[in-house]
Amino acid sequence: MMRQSSPILYLVFWILLSFLTLFPIYWLFVISVKPAVDLFTTPSLILDTVYWNNYVKVLSNETIRRYMYNSLVISTSNAALVTVLAFMACYALSRFDLAGKENIFFWTITNRMAPAAVFLLPFFLLFTQVFTIGDWKLYDTKIGMVLLYCTFNLPFAIWTLRPTMDGIPKELDEAATVDGATTWQVIHEVVFPLARPGLAVTFILTWVFAWNEFLLAATLTSFNARTITTGLSEYVTTTGTEWGAMASIAVITLIPALIIFSMVQRHIVAGLTFGAVKE
Amino acid sequence: MAQVAVRNVVKKYGSLQVIHGVNIDIADGEFVVLVGPSGCGKSTLLRMIAGLERISGGEVDIGGRVVNDVLPKDRDIAMVFQNYALYPHKTVAENMGFPLKLKGRPKDEIAAKVKKAAEILALEKLLDRYPKQLSGGQRQRVAMGRAIVRDPQVFLFDEPLSNLDAKLRVTMRVEIKELHQRLKTTTVYVTHDQIEAMTMADKIVVMRDGHVEQIGAPLDLYDRPANTFVAGFIGSPAMNFVLGRLEGRDGETVFVSDHGTVLPVPAGTAPRPEPVVYGIRPEHIDVRPGGIAATISVLEPTGSETQIFARIGEDPLNAAVRDRVASRPGETIPLSIDSQRVHLFDRQSGKRI
Repeated sequence: MMRQSSPILYLVFWILLSFLTLFPIYWLFVISVKPAVDLFTTPSLILDTVYWNNYVKVLSNETIRRYMYNSLVISTSNAALVTVLAFMACYALSRFDLAGKENIFFWTITNRMAPAAVFLLPFFLLFTQVFTIGDWKLYDTKIGMVLLYCTFNLPFAIWTLRPTMDGIPKELDEAATVDGATTWQVIHEVVFPLARPGLAVTFILTWVFAWNEFLLAATLTSFNARTITTGLSEYVTTTGTEWGAMASIAVITLIPALIIFSMVQRHIVAGLTFGAVKE
Repeated sequence: MAQVAVRNVVKKYGSLQVIHGVNIDIADGEFVVLVGPSGCGKSTLLRMIAGLERISGGEVDIGGRVVNDVLPKDRDIAMVFQNYALYPHKTVAENMGFPLKLKGRPKDEIAAKVKKAAEILALEKLLDRYPKQLSGGQRQRVAMGRAIVRDPQVFLFDEPLSNLDAKLRVTMRVEIKELHQRLKTTTVYVTHDQIEAMTMADKIVVMRDGHVEQIGAPLDLYDRPANTFVAGFIGSPAMNFVLGRLEGRDGETVFVSDHGTVLPVPAGTAPRPEPVVYGIRPEHIDVRPGGIAATISVLEPTGSETQIFARIGEDPLNAAVRDRVASRPGETIPLSIDSQRVHLFDRQSGKRI
């Protein structure tokens, strides 16, 4: 009724909200396409000239390209691994009679209760001194970062996915079982397709976490596995900050996130299980 | 099609026993209804036959094979669930063809069988729809379709009509019965609705607290209930029970209630010292001159019949008569009891005398 009676108010509200959301991105873009001189002499939000050199400079830098590649590999591998593991964990928590499963469920989230900085030193020691084979160390490796982000993302993913899994009626599993399905077929044919919206959300959230993470990446990588967020900080030097280059990297880092989101977004369909069972 | 035998079946959850040594023999092609109040163990028993619950003791035999340790998918059964359990991401045709797809049957065979089942259930026009686009009755038919395309040895129905409205329930009841008459597949059907049980079953199994109270044909249960529980459960409106004793008076046996009301008993009944429960169905009481004077408490006319809630002295008695009743609450009417239809039970054990 409210919506019907005041459409203009709603329009204004949403325009305002969109402006608040998009303005920082616009600002970032404006900075990325201006030479350093313009930024400091005549600061302006107007996009009068487009100066692509910041992009050329950044994209021709092989190190930055590697950081970007590392970030993509680490974030995507982490999100895929976490989503698969969380799916299996939630299936077990939702469907099986496990002794003390609610305690297990609660316990999984406890390691997200402390700030990440608390874990820095233990992880650093583990990565440099414990998880080593000969000269090889987990420190500064992509696999190391993928596993590291798993420890942070998996509990969160289990908490995100559990309601989705509990929301898929157990009778569907039973019906499929009676219809002749094995456990694998039940998961593949019934549970997985219905859990897709939850899985998509889990994938995006874990991907974004790994993509944006700075503190752990800055501490546990040095060169080989360095990610783009830490690479960004390299433009803050003792001789000054290269705002134009930093802004162009930031704009570039938005693009994979947008692509991933658009690919996964179509799976986020609400109300997919409607009609499965009589409520 | 197959025979099903449940022998001494026990179900325990830890120390809690919910099924206590149940025995049921189901003949090939028979329609058996498990009926009882909520929590009596009927659904648990059905799920044990399906293989969805482990059997703690005893044996379940389908088609001459003990299936205690056989997976549901290998039992050659089909089940229709109370809440339909249709796969929401599959169309009607995909839902119905799913069991055959799992068996790895060729696509054209699946399509042919789905088409045939859809014809039986009048679902031909709905094959491309999704469950959310169907009404309750249509969803229930799809669930049945999914069961019949498999041509299983046994159909299991777990309260399939309890989510439908009253009118649709009657329609679907007839459809299920017609389907059984057509396919002649052995069927085990669970319901808490005694009307469903009476109208559909070849044989009814009445359960209470994990025990079988009585097994028999619907009218046998109605005419000769084994105990007060079955007598009270089967039949609508429910049977009247009056507590009292059988006494000899003037060479005849009569029933005298604890409040002193005298009621007739079947000819040939002997007096006994132990207290009894006197049972008479409302439809076996009539309003007739010369009957026992009763005071009307409430009248419930339904059009086809009138229910009279009355009192004879201190004893409440409910009668259901076909004729319209002109009297009003508070007035006295003569109630005549058909003495040959009286049921007598031992008060201690509740068993039929």
